[in-house]
Amino acid sequence: MPHPHARGADTGAGFLDRATCLHRVSHIAAETSSTQQPLAALWIGLDRLKQINQSFGHQGGDIVILQITQRLREKTGGRSEWYRMGGDEFVCLLPDTNADQARKFAAELIQVIEAPLRFGELLLHPSASIGVVVLEENEDSFMFLERADHAMSAAKRQGGGRIVVSGEEPTPGRMGILLAREELAIESQLHEALENGGLALHYQPIVSLDGHIEGVEALMRCTTGNGSIPPGKFIPVAEKTGLVTRLGEWSLLTGTGFARELANAGLRTKVAINVSRAQLISPKFSQALHAALMCSNVSPELIELELTESLFMDISAVVQDNLRAAREAGVSLAIDDFGTGYSCLANLKDIPATKLKLDRAFVIVLPHDRRAFAVVKAMTQLGRELGMTVVAEGVEEMNQLDALREAGVDAIQGYIHARPMPKETLLTWLKERNPT
Amino acid sequence: MNTTADVISPPAVDSLLENSLRDIGIPPCPAVLDRIVREMRKEAPDFKHVANIINTDVALGASLIKTANSPFFGFRSRVRSVNEALMVLGLTVASKAIAGIILRRAFPITPALERFWDSSMRIARLSGWLAQDVASKTVSSDDSYTYALFRDCGIPVLFNRFPAYETMVREANNETVKNFTEVEETHLPTNHAMVGCLLAQSWWLPEETCFAIRHHHDLQVIETPAISSPLASRYHIAIAQLAEFFLQRHTGLSHTCEWPKLGAACLKLLEIDENDIEPIFNEARIIIQAED
Repeated sequence: MPHPHARGADTGAGFLDRATCLHRVSHIAAETSSTQQPLAALWIGLDRLKQINQSFGHQGGDIVILQITQRLREKTGGRSEWYRMGGDEFVCLLPDTNADQARKFAAELIQVIEAPLRFGELLLHPSASIGVVVLEENEDSFMFLERADHAMSAAKRQGGGRIVVSGEEPTPGRMGILLAREELAIESQLHEALENGGLALHYQPIVSLDGHIEGVEALMRCTTGNGSIPPGKFIPVAEKTGLVTRLGEWSLLTGTGFARELANAGLRTKVAINVSRAQLISPKFSQALHAALMCSNVSPELIELELTESLFMDISAVVQDNLRAAREAGVSLAIDDFGTGYSCLANLKDIPATKLKLDRAFVIVLPHDRRAFAVVKAMTQLGRELGMTVVAEGVEEMNQLDALREAGVDAIQGYIHARPMPKETLLTWLKERNPT
Repeated sequence: MNTTADVISPPAVDSLLENSLRDIGIPPCPAVLDRIVREMRKEAPDFKHVANIINTDVALGASLIKTANSPFFGFRSRVRSVNEALMVLGLTVASKAIAGIILRRAFPITPALERFWDSSMRIARLSGWLAQDVASKTVSSDDSYTYALFRDCGIPVLFNRFPAYETMVREANNETVKNFTEVEETHLPTNHAMVGCLLAQSWWLPEETCFAIRHHHDLQVIETPAISSPLASRYHIAIAQLAEFFLQRHTGLSHTCEWPKLGAACLKLLEIDENDIEPIFNEARIIIQAED
């Protein structure tokens, strides 16, 4: 229950507002300054409420908030003071409580919040992120609550359902907050790009050591009203938010369409399209692939799917079915970024891939790092033994190329030949190299 | 078959589209639409520039003016130029209206497809009206209109690619138990909902529209709330299904078995009681007759 001396506007369900909370913190701080009694606060943010609102309407979100706040009240009884800081964010003030006690209490609250919640015929599994803060000497109420808010945001960035104590954030200070805001901004820009023509594929050639063009890899670019976003920034956000499936399907249709355009121009060049783990674990992947092939009316042997190596940490039956269906459709498979991350040699023998792409991390240290050279040589040998073509990525310099030739790789991709380029530029590039 | 007749389209349709029709099954995003959505992406889009793009295609400009003046949008003053049409519709609505206008032109003109597009257009108009009438808080009527127009656009794509597709559609239309797309999948490795969704994505339609196109025969998506199913998408599906049912009742022709399979879930989602159907249908008839 709110403290009997608290003044201010009731925000509904008996919660007092932000201004009252600030006032109350100042008041307690003044009262306890002589006694050295600690004051803790928990900043609680409900996770995924935006998705709940999108799926069930605001009425759904309101019901979730109402039920969870009732649980919190039942759990805490008169031990604490509650304030509503925003639609789905609450602050609980805990007088005479230190950091350890506050953290334990936060853990109890998370358990209470995470109990399944009935919504119509559906069982929802709510969760919350909690930031824990203890008032420091001479700290004003505004800073105190801001630290609690930052800690809660850090907990959300870790995936939600977590507790972070202020000062123990994995990305401490201002940078952490900037990152969260940046991710939100990128998500919003991705949605904008999907509806405003902001996506494009650029293509980077893959060239065999004898100069023959093996194919081109399609790489996604995203441009919005605020300029272009580097793939290293938007791909992780797309993966976190689930947008990666839609981006992947867009790539499938655009990439297969471009393979058809190339064929029409007399350039039978294979187009390699990146496929994410999220796409491959969907039972509908095969339908989407067939739809793209059919819509583009392209010969499947002109399409290659590049599979991220992280896929192989857990190859489920659905993934295996999808890979088999792709091969049966006549599409070839390549394993991308091989050698770092989740390489599992046991899985390698089960994947019906025909190409192994060595991660650029091995290439950039060549030719001086002889241990890296030995690894490249061994991986090349392994790929060859498995009947795969071996491609090295990220090749920029002549002496790297020489080392790769010595290691026995079949083809290379990198700035040494060409940067990724828009389709019109690539067409000219290909025609110049293949004048016939 | 007279292939020339099959690919005739209005003279102003950009050449990219015409070329694509000969050998690519799906029409890529038309250059004119691509240019418009790219202009919209700018911080301060230039309406005059967008109007100039549209004016390069006389038929498109005329269709857009007609759209802006249709009772569906309910503007009081009459629009006379593309520029004015853009001002009253706004660029977002205008780009969706343009997508709808170009969609029909992107496919060969055949009698069977003409009937298909006429039917889609009637369902779309009625969906736009129903959205205002029964779901104005959840979806906008122009989004419902666009969705219904694109809902079955995978059908003409597959129709062009597979001579036997017409027979498959007939079989799926007569199927009383199995899902429509399941019937397609017994003959093909994909279905028209998936194809339509890819087309809509590549034409930069809103996510809710694309999701609804993909799942418009999926009973579970209509009846079960889920984090992954936007509420607006479920409403689009239900509204267009109701519109199709009303049109079939009005004409006395029933080409599909979708209403018996999906109708109850649609009504439940839209919170329409069995007793309320007749008054809504009677109002809908007036709208349908006004357009006939």
